[in-house]
This record gives sequence, structure tokens and C-alpha cells, in this order.
Amino acid sequence: MINEHLRNGLRAGAIFAIATIFLILIAFNVTAAQLLGKLLGNQSASSIFDLTPDMFNMLVFFGLVGFWAGGLGAKRTASDTWKLVFLAGVSTGLVFGALVAVFAYLVGMLNVAGIQMTAYLPLMLPASINQLLMGKSPAAGSLILLVVIFATGVLGALTARGFGRGAWRQSFSTWWGQRKGTLSQIPTVQRVQGNALTRYFFYGILLLLVFLLPLWIGQYWNYTLGTVGIYVLLGLGLNIVVGLAGLLDLGYVAFFAIGAYTVALLTAPTPHNLLWNFWIVLPIGIVLAATAGVLLGIPVLRMRGDYLAIVTLGFGEIIRILSKSDLLTNFSGGPKGVPNVGGPSLFGISFNDIGFVYLIMVAVLLIIFVTNRLQDSRVGRAWVAMREDETVAQAMGINTLRHKLLAFGIGAAFAGLGGAIFASRNQFTGPEDFNLMVSINVLCVVIVGGMGSIPGVIAGAFALKGLPEVLRELENYRVMFFGALLVVMMVLRPEGLIPSKRRRLEMREIAEEEGAEEVVKQARVGPPATASPPLNPGNIANISTSDEGGS
Amino acid sequence: MNIALETTQLTKIFGGLTAVNRVDLVVPENTIVSVIGPNGAGKTTFFNCITGFYRPNIGDIRFFGKTLVGLAPDQVTYQGISRTYQNIRLFSNMSAVENIMVGQHPRMKTIWFESIPRTSRQRKEEAHALEEALRLLRFVGLAGLGDHLARNLPYGAQRRLEIARALASQPKLLLLDEPTAGMNPNETGEMMRFIQHLRDELGITILLIEHDMRVVMGISEQVSVLDYGTKIAEGTPLEIQKNPRVIEAYLGRGAASGLDKTPPGVTAP
Repeated sequence: MINEHLRNGLRAGAIFAIATIFLILIAFNVTAAQLLGKLLGNQSASSIFDLTPDMFNMLVFFGLVGFWAGGLGAKRTASDTWKLVFLAGVSTGLVFGALVAVFAYLVGMLNVAGIQMTAYLPLMLPASINQLLMGKSPAAGSLILLVVIFATGVLGALTARGFGRGAWRQSFSTWWGQRKGTLSQIPTVQRVQGNALTRYFFYGILLLLVFLLPLWIGQYWNYTLGTVGIYVLLGLGLNIVVGLAGLLDLGYVAFFAIGAYTVALLTAPTPHNLLWNFWIVLPIGIVLAATAGVLLGIPVLRMRGDYLAIVTLGFGEIIRILSKSDLLTNFSGGPKGVPNVGGPSLFGISFNDIGFVYLIMVAVLLIIFVTNRLQDSRVGRAWVAMREDETVAQAMGINTLRHKLLAFGIGAAFAGLGGAIFASRNQFTGPEDFNLMVSINVLCVVIVGGMGSIPGVIAGAFALKGLPEVLRELENYRVMFFGALLVVMMVLRPEGLIPSKRRRLEMREIAEEEGAEEVVKQARVGPPATASPPLNPGNIANISTSDEGGS
Repeated sequence: MNIALETTQLTKIFGGLTAVNRVDLVVPENTIVSVIGPNGAGKTTFFNCITGFYRPNIGDIRFFGKTLVGLAPDQVTYQGISRTYQNIRLFSNMSAVENIMVGQHPRMKTIWFESIPRTSRQRKEEAHALEEALRLLRFVGLAGLGDHLARNLPYGAQRRLEIARALASQPKLLLLDEPTAGMNPNETGEMMRFIQHLRDELGITILLIEHDMRVVMGISEQVSVLDYGTKIAEGTPLEIQKNPRVIEAYLGRGAASGLDKTPPGVTAP
């Protein structure tokens, strides 16, 4: 028993110590202190407990991490005694604190000896080491670190015990469940809850808010919102290819590029000086992208799985390298790209940043509509069936090659639309806009959001393209944190943020018939596994009457 | 009586292995025909040749007089042949109803573009398909389970759902690959009656691969025995039970010479 707690505490302490030392090595403690300073608003204070605000905030940061470590180190069953939890907290805090302190002491000693660590670790500046030790001698500074981490570790463990580890959460959800139960017994609430109009009303308000948003948030956030929207477009397109039809396409960026270059070359003054109208060029871009999708698909789609991924990857790179090559400089601007891409205008007014956000929103709504309609139809079912089991899907009479081409073509068309808007909004397009990372990012949007789920793709685009902007405060550590978030997210929720749900078809249909509620109830109550109902040849007559001359 | 399916000299060779060797088989319309044989005898390969997954090296397959050789699996399905699998192969992340609706794919006519504006034809067809799927669901005794994901259904229900999916294309010939595998005697009996009803009431011709001798002897009008890819015997269940070559294939030469009566497991129903 004691052993187990000790081991758990030691493990948590060691893991947190390693992570923290790593963070110190990349000087994250300095950034974290600044962020906390902004958060706490104490940056301008002259000194807190004899420390500069940055040093104090750094200690707060270590304290928070120690608290977390202690909580995890003590995480066992709710029946643990205080003594055991205390023991776990002490071991966590001691290991964590001691390791960090030893590290800080060593670094401090090296610094005192005048050894420049920046040669090996570019971020270990004397200044940041000084901050780590709070301007004190290596011994004193590391002792403070040890004490702070140890104390917060023990505190974290005891807090975890105090909350009974999830017990309060459970009692809260019971309380909430009861509340909801009583609420929904009130007739008015019932009527509002069950009413489709209420739902539309809430959607309406949400939509209105979204449409008013660009007017308030300013140019920078409008740009970000637009980028998110373009990634929603791309994500929804790839969602058809990967999420519904199950074809792993790593060269999706190629179709994005085709859409963008079509608009760029036909509207820009250089290199062709065609200066066509955006609204005419837009459908051309979409059609060209879709055509490219189908043409690429014909030779490629006989392959399955990994092979398909590699071939499409190659195709994506070919398009980028072609657009970059000197060979095509006269045609597509070469590595310099195409500047001054024309923008859309409506009633003689050209689009500004707000206009583009609206354009993107309209495009997104349109694509959501189309995707939604497609996935709940014969072709949508065929796609999902192919994803589930291609061999059987073909045996069910689905022409797999044709449906794959269709998925590829439609997905490419969405990407073409996204690319066209992208080039026009940026007023520029060049080879570097279309590197492999775009394909990977879009794939991430689909996977993180939830394969085959429209709300999932939207959530994924916000998470992957919006969150980095929010995380901008973290500066250089942005990408690292973003990666860590992705890893954590996929471990905790491998099915995606908002996984797709299959439509309920049977119950809806039955509920529409008269007096069918009983059937629904029975079906829900009746355990499927225990007593399977007998095969019912009595219904055969029904089957044959519905036959439309099939046999 | 019409001949539903006829194979002549059907041969499939994988590398050096002849999985199916010059098999002649005639399935008259409206009968239940069983193909039996020891493990690895080539029964499933034979099925795969008929359904277009393998192209036979030699031989012909005729379905109501039209050849099936060279057709892709989906085209074979359009001709009116449908099948189930030995190891159940449902679309596991789709609901039961959707599985059946996929089965109706060859009977539906709307093209993809129609589903975006939801033309009245498309809506009618979808509604009809759903109705039909629910009817089939009730038919196989799975009413109320239609919204469950296929993979969450119990084993027996999955078998039934697979049959419902196969029936959804309204086939003239149904190929069942070990439909009673893993079932208890009660369920097996039910399945036997169900298969007979399919033939009697819907007029579907049934070609069956089966290991359970009770099923084979109980419902089939004709039994063909494959061993090492070759058809070694054919006849009524009673004839097959007495055939020494069949006994030899199943139990070995010694058993065949030592036994003058029916071997264990091969008992009259």
C-alpha cells in the first residue's frame, strides 16, 4: 500500500522534473513568467517579497506546476487516508523539487564559473540563469526553488485528497441531472425543448452573431477568421475524400493551388494581363480543380490505402515544384509568384477585409449545405460503405471507381473554391503558399475535428488555425505547445473533437407513424442481446408486394 | 425448369495451386443447392469466381444464360446475384438501416447531383428506400434495432442483418457462405426455416456453403461436394451420405473402408 503510493509519487515527481528542466533549457520559464505577469497585472510592481515581478511570477509558475504534480502524484482511489496522500505528496514534491534544484545549482555554478552555455544551448543566457536563481547565489536560489516546489507539491496532493478525486464532480453531475429532470417536467419547458422552432431560433441567433462578428473584431482577427474559414472549406472538401470515402489524400494542396493560380493568372496584370472579373474566374477555378481531381484520380484510385497516400503526396509536390520552376516563369510567375491578384467587387464596391470574411462565410455555408445533402444520400452512403469495406461495397453493386472519382472531384472542387478566395484575398499567390504543410494541416483539421463530421471539421479548423493565433502570446513556444496539445488531444479523444454520428432513421420514421411511441419505448427497453426476436417469415408478403418488378 | 446458374469447367489457379478445378455445377431455378467440402476445398474461391472477385482462368459461368465471366463484382450484383460472407462483413460504423439501404444501391436510380437540391424524385426514392429497409429489418426480426451501429449488434443479429442487406438488392440468386456458423441448434433451426421461406415465398434461388450437415441434409435439394478444388460427388442429400468418396474426403480412407453405414455427423435429418 505504502509502496504503491511512494512509487506513484516518485514517478510523478520525476516526470514533472524532467519536463520542467526541459522547459528551463528552452527558457520557457522566462516567457511563462511574463505571461503570468500580464495575467496577474503585477508587472509594474517594483518588488514583490523582495523579488522582481518576473522572478516572483516565475516562482508562481513553478508553484502551479508543483501543485499539479502533487495532485497527480497523489491520484489514487478516494478511500486513501490523509497519511498516505501526504506521503505521496512529499515524495512527489521532494523528487520534483530536488531534481530541479540540483539542475538550477549546476547551471548556476557553471554561470558563476564564467562558462558560456549559449554555445550549446542558445537560450541559456546568463540573464535567464540569473532569473532562474532569482539573483541569488546558486545554493540559495536552488534552495528557494526546492522549498517552493516541495511545498506546492504537498499542497497539491492534499488538495486532491480534499476534493476526493472526482467525488465532487460526481455529486455535481447528480445534482445537475436532478435539476434538469425537474426542469423538463415543467410543461412550458417541455414544449420549448421539444420544439423544432426553438432550435431554429437558437441557430438563427448564433448565425446572426457570427455575421455581426466581422464588424466588431478588427482587421487582424478578420484575417484570422478568414483563414479559419478557408481551412473549413478545405477541411470539408478533404472530409469527403478522407472522412467519407476513406481515401487518404496527402496531395490535397494541389487542388487548392490550381484554384488559386487560376484566379491569379486570369485576374492579375502580370504575367498575362488578362484582368478578368473575379466572379467569372471563380467558377473556372472550381471546375479546373475538379477536373484535375478526376484526371488525377483515374490512374491513381485503383490503389488503396498507403499507396494512394504516397502517389497523391507526389502529385502535390509536382504541382508546387512546377509552379516554382523556371520553365514556367513566363506562364505562372515562377518562384516570385503572381502579385496584384484581382479581388471581387459587388455593385461597384471592391471587397475589403470585412467583405472577404462575408464571402468566405457564404462559401462555407454553401459547402456545408452541399456536403450535408450529399452525405445523407445514395452517394453518401456509398462513400461511407466504401470506407468501411471496399470489397463488400463493390459486392453491393457500388461502382467503386466511379464513386472514388466523384469524391475526389467534389473534394477538389471545394479546395479550388478555397484556393480562389485565398489568392484573391491575399492579392498574391506563389509556390510557397502550397507546400506540403498545407495538406498535412488540412488532414489534421479533419482528424482532430472528427472524420466525416461537419461540425467536427469546423471545430478542427478553429482549433488548428484559430488556436495558434490565440497562442501567439507564447511566441516561440507556440508551435511546441500546439504540438503538445495535438498529442494530448489525440490521446484523450482519438475519435476527434466532435465525432460523426449516424443519423437515426428507424426511430424517426416510426415516431412519425401513429401511436408509435410504445414501439420506440419497447425497442429501447428490450435488450437486444438476450432474446433476439424470431425470424419473421410472416412479413414476406409485404416484401413481395413492395417489389417493383425486380424478380 | 430454368437453369439459374451454370458453371462449366470452372478453374481458378493461384500460382501453383489449383483452388477450383474444372467444376461443373448446375443450379436449377428455385432450388436450394449446397456446396460442401473439407476446409480449403475451394468453396469460397468458387463463390468469389461467381461474384466476380476472381476471374476464372478457364471455364464459363452463366446466369440465366448470360455469361458472368469478365464482369466486375458490382456488375454481377446488377445481374441479380447477392451474397453474404463466412466471417460477417457488415459496414460496422453504419447503422443497421443504413446497411440495408446500401444494399439497395443497385435498385436506386438518382444520380449524385439530384441529392443537392433534393429533387422530388430523389426524395421519393429515399423515402421508399427507407421504408423498404425498415420492412426488411422487420422481416429478419430486427425491428427496433435499426438505429444501432452494425458493430454493436449481437452476433446472431449481425448474421440476419447481412442477409437483409443481401436481400435488399432483390436478387434472383442468393449465395450464402456458412449462414449458420457460430449458431446454437435453436438458431440454426430457425435459420433453416428462414432460408426455406426465402425460396418458397420469394422464389429466390439459393446456393449455400455449409459445414453443418444437419442444415445441408435438411434443406438442400442438391448437394455438391468439393475436395481439393475438384467436384467429387453430386446428388441428393441421401445419395451424398452414402457416397464412399465423400466419406473418404471427410474422414480419410480408413474410415471409408471400415464403415459400411453412415459416418457420425452425417445423419439423416
